Amino acid sequence: MSDSHDHDVNLVPPTRRVVLGFQDAEDMDVPDLPTEPVPLNMGPSHPAMHGTVRMVLEVEGEKISSADIQIGYLHRCFEKESESATWTQIFPYTDRLNYISPMLNNIGYAMAVEKLLGIADTLPERAQYIRVIVGETSRITDHLTCLGASAMELGAFTVFLYALKAREWIFELLEEICGARLTVSYMRIGGVAADMPEEWGKKLLDVFARVRDVMVDISKLLDRNRIFRDRMDGIGIITKEDAISWGITGPVGRSTGLAYDVRKDHPYLVYDRFDFDVPVGSVGDNFDRYAVRVEEILQSMRIIEQALAQIPAGRFLHPDPRVSLPPKSETYNSIEAMIAHFKLIMDGIHVPPGEIYSFTEAGNGELGFYIVADGTGRPWKCRVRPPCFPATAVLGKVLPGLFIADVVPTFGMINMIGGECDR
Amino acid sequence: MTATPNTPPPPNANPTTQAPAAPDTVTLIIDGQSVTVPKGTMLIEACNQNGADVPFFCYHAGLTSPAVCRQCLVDVKGQPKPVPSCYTPVADKMEVFTKSPRALDVRRQMLEFTLVNHPIDCPICDKAGECLLQKHYFDWNAKLARNDGVKVKKNKVVDLGPHIVLDQERCILCTRCIRVCDEVAKSHQLEMAQRGDHEVLTTAPGHQLDNPYSLNTVDVCPVGALTSKDFRFSMRVWELSTTPSVCPGCATGCNIEVHHSRGKIHRLVPRLNPAVNKHWMCDEGRFTYKRVHHDRLAAPVSAGIPVEWDRALADAGRLLRAALDANPAEVGVVMSAQSTNEDLHALAKLTFEHLGLGKAYLSGQDQGWSDDILVSADKNPNTAGAMAIGAGRLRTLLDLANDIKSGAVTTLLVVGTHGVLPADGKPGALPLEKLKTLVVVGTHRDPVATAAHVALPLTEWAEADGTFTNRQGMVQRVRAAVPPSGDALPGWEILSHLARILGATMEFADAKAVFTDAKAKLPFMKDADWGRRYLPVQLRFAGSRG
Repeated sequence: MSDSHDHDVNLVPPTRRVVLGFQDAEDMDVPDLPTEPVPLNMGPSHPAMHGTVRMVLEVEGEKISSADIQIGYLHRCFEKESESATWTQIFPYTDRLNYISPMLNNIGYAMAVEKLLGIADTLPERAQYIRVIVGETSRITDHLTCLGASAMELGAFTVFLYALKAREWIFELLEEICGARLTVSYMRIGGVAADMPEEWGKKLLDVFARVRDVMVDISKLLDRNRIFRDRMDGIGIITKEDAISWGITGPVGRSTGLAYDVRKDHPYLVYDRFDFDVPVGSVGDNFDRYAVRVEEILQSMRIIEQALAQIPAGRFLHPDPRVSLPPKSETYNSIEAMIAHFKLIMDGIHVPPGEIYSFTEAGNGELGFYIVADGTGRPWKCRVRPPCFPATAVLGKVLPGLFIADVVPTFGMINMIGGECDR
Repeated sequence: MTATPNTPPPPNANPTTQAPAAPDTVTLIIDGQSVTVPKGTMLIEACNQNGADVPFFCYHAGLTSPAVCRQCLVDVKGQPKPVPSCYTPVADKMEVFTKSPRALDVRRQMLEFTLVNHPIDCPICDKAGECLLQKHYFDWNAKLARNDGVKVKKNKVVDLGPHIVLDQERCILCTRCIRVCDEVAKSHQLEMAQRGDHEVLTTAPGHQLDNPYSLNTVDVCPVGALTSKDFRFSMRVWELSTTPSVCPGCATGCNIEVHHSRGKIHRLVPRLNPAVNKHWMCDEGRFTYKRVHHDRLAAPVSAGIPVEWDRALADAGRLLRAALDANPAEVGVVMSAQSTNEDLHALAKLTFEHLGLGKAYLSGQDQGWSDDILVSADKNPNTAGAMAIGAGRLRTLLDLANDIKSGAVTTLLVVGTHGVLPADGKPGALPLEKLKTLVVVGTHRDPVATAAHVALPLTEWAEADGTFTNRQGMVQRVRAAVPPSGDALPGWEILSHLARILGATMEFADAKAVFTDAKAKLPFMKDADWGRRYLPVQLRFAGSRG
């Protein structure tokens, strides 16, 4: 990981200029004009900017002298909208935060509300295991998308197709469990919306065998690929100190050698029951971020395999009818369940007044929900700490000194997701 | 005096600051907390005013307590059994436990008992969303059914009277409605019949539920047993937003909540104001919302043709200017006792100060029936305000009729047309056809607006901010609940435009500016308060009205 590539920034002497279209440019009498920085817009309508971010670069030739990162193109008023929706109606909004790992957003939000309700300790075990399993599959899809898309942006289209093929196998299984590939809304306050289908775990393990093959293929295509390494090694270095002072977590934070993983440091759900490693990088460059993500995919599969072996039978929703909808047979045949159903749908869950900051390890790092409840059926305030926000912010410090072409892999490896960053 | 906020503070908001030795108070301990309340307070009031939430069905702050529902049972030290807190007066050194395991358990059992025969009607029930039974079950029981026995069948559609339908299955036999008839309307029209789980609510022999306060029974009904024929099945209550206002039906000025959704008013319900209407309002007042949405003058009309505001104002200004230039003594102005103080103040300013006119008249609805409970014979909400603002300069419509007939008035500006012509629509009482110029600022497409040379659309009471002065002289705040119908504008705004065209300077930024101006000049408004800005709250998030 330390095979850093030293860019020769003085390839073109300042006095020799090339004017495009003139073959004999060197022979022309080109006046020695004073250089001045050129502002260059990258994005938001630029394929490598994912359509969601604008970078106003100041370039001197190919070299970036300053970068102004402008976000907000995907702002959807998530936090304000949440204040007029019941607690349960917010799940579809959370799907659209980091939209390539929606399960993890669902889990983060659900756990915040459950802590406010005081039912976090009495959550059914099966629900906790299901959450771990689908959450980790979401992490795999998140990382696969990031790796594939970034490789494609560097010209390795094959990797993109391989990675997305593997992602699709997992999406198909997620569709089987909740009916949707992306907009899952699978979590509920107090558990999950439906039980895992029979044989689903076995299918997932079968898929993992194939995903492992894909990971081997991707590694073969990229790890010793000269073009890939040249554009990844030593580029976009974030130091450990920067990671701490900017608040960067997740794969980007771990690539700097910062071994912080919420699942290990503040275990939630049943993560303390699994044996898994937290990969860390040493340099904090693009290749470290790539390598950390590849390893995390393998670790996630390891967690899921243990979880599938341990998962107990039982309820998948909290039994309190003040929190979770009673079964339909009860709702249609008893006034008690009917009232509970009605109040939950129309008024929303009555979350006692209070505030909470709850955080989980999402695809991009520490996803926090700061929620204030006022005792009604909707949040008074629902604030999200998006993990890719600080990682995107640090680009303004990292990019100066790099070439324009380096923006593409560096931005790609930050994995800025507009839905999450801009909310 | 301003309109009280949505939820009034308890009458005894801060009892701990009272001197404990005062002879008319007692000190007791509720859930370990020492509280001091006036002697004679019922235990349930002492509990609920001090944060110890005790549920109830049959208790109502405006009625006597029969203690029939047993939902408010609490433990009192030294008592062998839990006591109904709505029926137990506080006593000195009483030690009360509202959340002891036994109290919680007996209340939970009572709820379970109440639900045994309750039909599974929430999806089709009008009360769903503001139902006390739903609220208390969710807050206090929240256990699934243990009983799958057959529920007792009763009559689901009993026509009790002109306004109300009863569903006997939903009734939980709390008798609140009976007490409303007995104690508020002073007419015994409802009764309980049969016994045990066959007990039903029914009308008293030879009676129907037709007293003038009958719809209060729907408000107090904790469940959906009594429903209003006017409101039922028209709207789900949790979709409604609520805006506090004042009833425009008579000079009493009952405080109300306007319940509206998407620019349409669906019902009016009383709002507690101990100084005016307590918890109640009359049936007639509840239907005053209908005129807000019926047969409105939607756009300015000039010479019988709907036109833009600019054109209509220019035409009105030209006509009035010509009349004023010809002979100001022949120009008359009609003010309305239906207008807000703000509209009346702007009109009085224009008439007397800027134009210097001498002929002003007061219109209003005809006198009607009255009683000594709430209903006033004066069917106008702001007669007191109009009389005070007119300050002796206003004459009657009879004078106006004579002046028109004699030719003393040839040009008329009418602001507010309710009651200008008699209700039977018979022309001739006021010979409007004899006028040379008639400019009308009105809410409805009535004969006065039709007869006008220029008619300008005016907002109704629920569409504009302002104040009414009731018969007690209290200046109470009316709030805009729904957007104006069509192009209608508030009266003060129309008059500001007219003043500008007529060369007078009378500019107001908003209704509050008119209010502030009026308050500084008019003695009867000197203690009035505009109140805070109020955003409508959807009922689903406002908590159960119960």
